[in-house]
Amino acid sequence: MTLTESLKAQALEGATAYQQRNDTLSSLRDAGRDALENLPFPDKKSERWKYTSLIKLQDGHLAKQAHKTSELSTADVPDFGGAQLVITNGALPATLPKIDGVIFSTLSADNPSAAKELTPFSGFNAATLQDGLNIHVAKGAQVKQALHIIYVGESDTPASAATRVNVTLDENSAFTLIEHYAGTGPALTSAITRIHVGGNAELTHYRLQSESAETLHISELDIQQQRDSRVRSYQLMKGNVLRRNDVRVWMNEPGADLVIRAVFLARDSSHVDNNVCIEHASPHCTSDQIFKGIAGETGKAVFNGRIHIHPGAKGTDAQLSNKNLLLANTAEIDSKPELEIYNDDVKCGHGTTIGQMDSEQLFYLRSRGVDAEQAKRMLGIGFINELILSLPNEAIAEWARDWLGESL
Amino acid sequence: MSNQAELDKLVRSEYSAGFTTSVESDTLAPGLSEDVIRFISNKKNEPQWMLDWRLQAYEKWQTMTSPSWAHIHHPPIDFNEVSYYSAPRSMADKPKSLDEIDPELLRTYEKLGIPLHEQEMLAGVAVDAVFDSVSVATTFRGKLKEAGVIFCSISEAVHEYPELIKKYIGSVVPQGDNYYAALNSAVFSDGSFVYIPKGVRCPMELSTYFRINEAKTGQFERTLIIADEGSHVSYLEGCTAPMRDENQLHAAVVELVAMPGANIKYSTVQNWYPGDENGKGGIYNFVTKRGVCHDNAKISWTQVETGSAITWKYPSVILRGDNSIGEFYSVALTRNMQQADTGTKMIHLGKNTKSTIISKGISAGRSQNAYRGLVRISPRAENARNFTQCDSLLLGDQCGAHTFPYIESRNPTATLEHEATTSKVSDDQLFLCRQRGIETEKAVSMIVNGFCKEVFKELPMEFAVEAGKLLEVSLEGSVG
Repeated sequence: MTLTESLKAQALEGATAYQQRNDTLSSLRDAGRDALENLPFPDKKSERWKYTSLIKLQDGHLAKQAHKTSELSTADVPDFGGAQLVITNGALPATLPKIDGVIFSTLSADNPSAAKELTPFSGFNAATLQDGLNIHVAKGAQVKQALHIIYVGESDTPASAATRVNVTLDENSAFTLIEHYAGTGPALTSAITRIHVGGNAELTHYRLQSESAETLHISELDIQQQRDSRVRSYQLMKGNVLRRNDVRVWMNEPGADLVIRAVFLARDSSHVDNNVCIEHASPHCTSDQIFKGIAGETGKAVFNGRIHIHPGAKGTDAQLSNKNLLLANTAEIDSKPELEIYNDDVKCGHGTTIGQMDSEQLFYLRSRGVDAEQAKRMLGIGFINELILSLPNEAIAEWARDWLGESL
Repeated sequence: MSNQAELDKLVRSEYSAGFTTSVESDTLAPGLSEDVIRFISNKKNEPQWMLDWRLQAYEKWQTMTSPSWAHIHHPPIDFNEVSYYSAPRSMADKPKSLDEIDPELLRTYEKLGIPLHEQEMLAGVAVDAVFDSVSVATTFRGKLKEAGVIFCSISEAVHEYPELIKKYIGSVVPQGDNYYAALNSAVFSDGSFVYIPKGVRCPMELSTYFRINEAKTGQFERTLIIADEGSHVSYLEGCTAPMRDENQLHAAVVELVAMPGANIKYSTVQNWYPGDENGKGGIYNFVTKRGVCHDNAKISWTQVETGSAITWKYPSVILRGDNSIGEFYSVALTRNMQQADTGTKMIHLGKNTKSTIISKGISAGRSQNAYRGLVRISPRAENARNFTQCDSLLLGDQCGAHTFPYIESRNPTATLEHEATTSKVSDDQLFLCRQRGIETEKAVSMIVNGFCKEVFKELPMEFAVEAGKLLEVSLEGSVG
């Protein structure tokens, strides 16, 4: 049996445990199972998975459900000043937080995710979903308090946990969402977040992926932007056994504006793969992305950034920058920025660099008595500091500097 | 081979005993089989080892499937509808004079300023023997011989220099490298062979155009250029004038070997029939071009691609030796319904290797123009350096310009830069030109020429002038 066949069998086995459950999510799970049966798992020949192998999933993560109850207390979670909500191994807490202007509800068959399950991983996510969460920000609500969701995926043996969050921002609203992943053990987190940003609404989005090194993470983030909406997304992550983030943003109506700032570190033997696609489907939208990556030891960092300008999307301004530091000749960085443009009235560009720390700068620091380790850390922080400084939330910026600094 | 593949092969093979060869016939009936390959080899009077090599390639080809990753769309090609051998037309079949040639073609020649007798040659008019015997080609041949340069057709080389061919053919592009390279290896019709001896600087630009038996290389062209230690050669392929050509599928292979300290410059102008404005007809051009650089060697590819309905072409350099250099300069222009998926691969294996990629894509009409490139730094390529710049220019709102770069680094001392931009001819620039009395079409062509300047300056002088004119002609009717 090939790897892809065996993964499919394991995923279907994992889904079986949920088949008998009769609750509001049944029809969603059935759809997920259908997708799993019909869509093949990617292999090395699949263009979008060229640099990421699924071999690490062969220990059976997909077949088993993560069950260990979290011992994580809210005291361990850094306080970013928002209302906290902990989702443990895919299970929602008994009570949901209260924020003015925000309505929480559990996902049910009445309001299943609007999008279909288009990949085997989103199929798997749907088929093994315990709970799902709906977040609805009311029209015109300017929500001051941030929502800080902590996803904890924990297990002692290879297993998986699925989470799914749908966020809807109605017109003219403003909202801050902090998605924070913190798990331990050989647990695979299968995470799907789908966000709809209504006309003239503003979303500030943080995605902090700080699970421990032995975890696995496969996620899909889908953002739909309507007229004149603004999205600022800050994504900070360290590599683990297998980290794969698929991000897709649709500019559906004119005037939408997107900013993404991201840092990814792949040290030791970790792996991180970001696959980002911006669909400019409407005129006069702007997108601006900066991704900075560092790979050291036997780490592997992959970046694939696609900008797709649809035929009618005139007046588009889309920019993408991917800068990388490679610290060892056993490490690897693969970068693939792509432009697909079907309109002439656009301003589009991308730039990629891969290099090393400047030996003159290192020498300068060494000559002033800074030891080699410390000097490298300083230069490493200097490399990503530009992005950390751009974080609007100071508590997160401070936390991120320490947390990322540990791995430099 | 797996059982299934063997079975497939058996099913596909034809009834061999029923195969009859008419010695008189010049063109082989369409279809591909082992017998066809034997026939081609036999026609060329090839030694057994060459035939074995072809058959090996054919066996590999049968197990392969045509690639589908490129950003091009075309109906599946039926390889059994292609005729794999046609001898050069006899004088009797050729058009007698320019009066019999498509006037559209002649107009283009005139615009490009091509002398009359050259027009005849390009259009395939039966050139009379007198002209031929005093042709420039013959004079050049003598001069080359003096320098010790071997420049002949590959069929000739198989007979005269078998040890060189045996050693180098397939050494850069192996038989099973890709689908079209395998097909070419099995059925290649002819092509050029060049050998530059140690330390020799080739006294002139070599061009396919000067080779005396260049009557018709056919659709499966194979070129092999070997530059021995410290030698230097510049090779021109193609011609700025459109070639009259009735073959729809072209699958060529070009192999370059640059021994230590050698320098090869390979320039191409491709201007085959691109099909009409509705995408009817036109050449499908699937080319594999690759060079190997040993220590301190340099290979430079320059291409101007304006023709063909489909261009699928990635001239590559394997930087095997330390301090070797690879360069790629490209202008690709597509219009009407043309599709181009072209770019390069730079594989850095040696220390201190350098590569430069400059790619300019221009799309007009309803065409699709894609750059696809790979830069790979291996773990032992210390201090490797790459600079890539891909610019696209869009003329019109129905065309597409795409960039698919693959950048892979495994050495921390390497420095890689990649940059891509997309723009259109700005109204401000046009306004400035119009204001000074330059008509729109002329203005656009000036701007496009400026956009391509970086690449044109890499072309040999006379070629650069012609390439500029060629763009002008190609852009006609694309504006306004």
